[in-house]
Amino acid sequence: MFVASKQVVLLTAVAAAILAFNLLPRIASGGTSVQLCDGETRLALDQVPTTPAGGLAVANALMAEWQQKNPGQPWAMGTIQDPQERAKLQKQRYQPKQPFDNRTALGEGQKVGHPYRDFSERDIVLWEAETMRLVYEGAEVFHDAARLGSTIAVSCDMCHPDASNTHPETYPKYQTQIGRPVMLREMINWCIEHPVRGKPLAHDDPRMLAMEAYIYAQRQGVALQFGKH
Amino acid sequence: MIAIRACASLTVLLAASVPCALTSAQDVAPHGAKAFAQQQAMLAELKPAAAGTKPHAVDAAFWRVFAPKPDTAAQAALGQRLFFDPQLSQDGTVACATCHDVSRSFTDLRPVSEGIGGKLGRRNAPTVMNAALITPLFWDGRSPTLPHQAGQPVLNPIEMGMPSREATVQKLQKTSDYAQAFQTAFGRALDYTAIEEAIAAFERTLIFLDAPFDRWQAGDKQALAEQQQRGFVLFHGKARCAACHPLNATNPLGTDFRFHNIGVSAHDKNFEKLAADALKALASNSSEQELDRLALATDMSELGRFMVTKQYADVGAFRTPQLRNVSITGPYMHDGSMQTLWDVVDHYNKGGEVNPWLDGGMEALTLTEAEIDDLVAFLASLTDVRFAEQDRAEDKRQSALSKTQRPFRDNDLATRKKLTFEDRVKTPGGK
Amino acid sequence: MKSIETKYMEERESLLRSLHNLDRRSFFKLSAAAGAAAVTHGVAFPHSFQPVRIGNGVESFRIAYISDSHLYERKLNDRFVKALLRAVDDVNRMDPQPDFVLFGGDLAQLGAPAELDLGAQILKNLRAPVRMMVGEHDWYLDLGEKWKGLFGAERYTFDHKGVHFVVLNSVVEEDFWTARKLTPAQRMGTVAGLDNGLQSPFTVGEEQRAWLANDLAKIDPNTPLVVFSHSPLYHYYKRWNFWTDDAEQVQAILEKFKKCTVVHGHTHQLLTHRIGDIHFHGLLSTAWPWPYAPEGLPELTVQMNRPDPFNPNDGCGQGEVHVDVDGLVDKVYRLWNRNPVTVSSEYMKSFGKAQKPGRANTPSY
Repeated sequence: MFVASKQVVLLTAVAAAILAFNLLPRIASGGTSVQLCDGETRLALDQVPTTPAGGLAVANALMAEWQQKNPGQPWAMGTIQDPQERAKLQKQRYQPKQPFDNRTALGEGQKVGHPYRDFSERDIVLWEAETMRLVYEGAEVFHDAARLGSTIAVSCDMCHPDASNTHPETYPKYQTQIGRPVMLREMINWCIEHPVRGKPLAHDDPRMLAMEAYIYAQRQGVALQFGKH
Repeated sequence: MIAIRACASLTVLLAASVPCALTSAQDVAPHGAKAFAQQQAMLAELKPAAAGTKPHAVDAAFWRVFAPKPDTAAQAALGQRLFFDPQLSQDGTVACATCHDVSRSFTDLRPVSEGIGGKLGRRNAPTVMNAALITPLFWDGRSPTLPHQAGQPVLNPIEMGMPSREATVQKLQKTSDYAQAFQTAFGRALDYTAIEEAIAAFERTLIFLDAPFDRWQAGDKQALAEQQQRGFVLFHGKARCAACHPLNATNPLGTDFRFHNIGVSAHDKNFEKLAADALKALASNSSEQELDRLALATDMSELGRFMVTKQYADVGAFRTPQLRNVSITGPYMHDGSMQTLWDVVDHYNKGGEVNPWLDGGMEALTLTEAEIDDLVAFLASLTDVRFAEQDRAEDKRQSALSKTQRPFRDNDLATRKKLTFEDRVKTPGGK
Repeated sequence: MKSIETKYMEERESLLRSLHNLDRRSFFKLSAAAGAAAVTHGVAFPHSFQPVRIGNGVESFRIAYISDSHLYERKLNDRFVKALLRAVDDVNRMDPQPDFVLFGGDLAQLGAPAELDLGAQILKNLRAPVRMMVGEHDWYLDLGEKWKGLFGAERYTFDHKGVHFVVLNSVVEEDFWTARKLTPAQRMGTVAGLDNGLQSPFTVGEEQRAWLANDLAKIDPNTPLVVFSHSPLYHYYKRWNFWTDDAEQVQAILEKFKKCTVVHGHTHQLLTHRIGDIHFHGLLSTAWPWPYAPEGLPELTVQMNRPDPFNPNDGCGQGEVHVDVDGLVDKVYRLWNRNPVTVSSEYMKSFGKAQKPGRANTPSY
């Protein structure tokens, strides 16, 4: 969410307007085009606002325009630039399970003569943070119909809240909908093609990899049982 | 005509084991079948598998599900003899081979089949090719096994019309060498179960799974034309076929063996009234026998699986047929109502025919004309190479026919301009 | 030669006439047997021969429900529209028609005027009268303005054939949007997501609880009571808002009624619970089914089989609420492409020992 006071909104709106004024061509009638920071959403203004209320109106109008194109989508998530803000928001919204606690790799162990096995807190934090970054990215894609390429505004979380009922531990298995045994990724693609009515992703598409990460993360602790129906 | 009638009466009078030998000089057997001797000659040329061997194209574990014990050559040969023997019919004119004619893709290429006395049934005859790998059998699945199915048409009053199992056994016993043949093949006296098992043993040799599709899957990149390959992609993607018609190494048939209501019965406006009547009959606890009679001899046959299971969810549901050799085994659907594969794809493209029990997996597909052509072309690649000539001829015939009539096409539904159920809701109470 | 319909009318007439001759116990045995047969067969009676039970001035009756259609505008998503059309068609075909049809909430997906208008237009095609109930997806774009304009009050009561009905707005959420400066669309988007941790739990709320208590104070506690609610009025799984925060306070108000049934939407699954003498039944959605929550599933619930995503109608449907002379309810789930499932009052009364619905082969989660 865009957490901001009225002044900040005004400043941003005016800044946006000025920026647009300088970088974008004027409209033939002599008006101005104002652009949202997603690079796509635009409004034509007959004149640049000169009052706080006017600036706010422009900002709200741009917002409404964006909302119309992206029904139900959280504005904030895709465009919050500050990584701390974003991470905080993701944590609050998605709450995936915790990854395995690797602190057991710390400690004395076979240190002498084994430089590659000398782990420290720094490594633990690195592993965890990077892994969860991918998982959160997957959570975002999972909840975002537009990013999935849905033509009917359906996202995965609508049928699979918290990635429930995805059963990643059962793959490979014969998937009756597909008529042959598949891996998780292929079932994700089938769901994208049919219930979500979008185009299947390439198997190495970053969105696919991220979603798979999120789905596995949510099933932390469940034993592997491939082939289980 | 006279010769046929003479042959029939001779058969009745003499009770000879010679199957209509007097007609072998002519091309036709009764009811439009090819002469049985000629059919047998064709069969020999097709070189079916040897009895008791697992066909090359079938997974061993899968084969064992259907054929737990290997058949002997004697059993299969006996079965073949029975398959072509019209003595199994009440008036001596109908054999299995009448409706499952070797020259007509082991079916009869008719919408519904014709039995003794020229009586027409209600269901389209499925092909015997690969039937050994299907269970349960019949469009409504009322036969759990292959031998059981083989024995049903013999006793059906409008198919082969034998009055009872005992009568059939007695009739065959009059041919002294049948009794001996059964003793040799089964080590026991001739009985109805052995008749069924013999025919089943023969049918297990009729596996035809060597199609261009299989060769393509095995690595021959040239086996499928470009168009057919596009059709393959559609089959597994946009056209949503694979969920009910899976094609894989273990189950190469293209059927899920399940029962789905895709709305074919709903072509007839009375379908819902029939269903209501049947539900009423069930609610007042009609006997099983009465419902079985209704299932075969009346319009209630349109209720399909429901008449067997009596489950509400099975109203109007029929078993998914195999897609192997589909190009040459028209007309299509349980009632043979679809002449061409274009009609079939049109039916699916618009989301089937609306009725209260329609399988929700039936959705408008928005396939374009080119995509429909691609899909049909792919289906042709499922025809066994031994029938390549028939396949080409039939494709040509169906293609020409499809250019003059497309009775099942509905572009508004196919493109989702109009939604299924919409018309019914607009006129409250439906039609 | 009489038609089947005439034959049935005559049978029914003669049964009703002979009721005078039956004592109460054998009458119930007769209809219970017929009912049990229907339950075990999975076959329902769609036709007119319905034993109409009469006793103590209360007549048995049935209502139908359609719920959780989650409509988008048709040009954006035709599938949900088609599903609602199917439900309307199914209910229109019922013979005899139900006394009324309850709409269980979440008519729209994002509360947009176009979505609510579309839903209202489709529901107008129902032959039976319709009672509307609001869900969170209908409410949080404009806090109920469009809804009230189309359908009237979001909470109300009425009496029907001796039963007191209450329709609640049980999706009242504490304001989480003002502090965050969310626009109406953002607020709606937040509420529309099941698994975000951002929205507030559903409540009935203090004011509405007082209204409810006041209304029920005037009703004799022996009166059968049916409460329609979108949220479940108990605690199931908080994270997905399968939850009503002030459930216990609401239950306390309902407690004095010994024949109390709560019928709720929102959960899109077969769901059964009992707290004290209150029976809770969930409604099916027409749009999509939900998996069972990882914890908190009431013991009485017999799960529906895991739906097949190839069939967008699987796990969905509509259904009926049969109110019997004793004021208790049989809940019928008319799952599309499956046999109907009935959760009877006998099952509820016996705490799940009698008339168990069949077990699922493939439970979800």
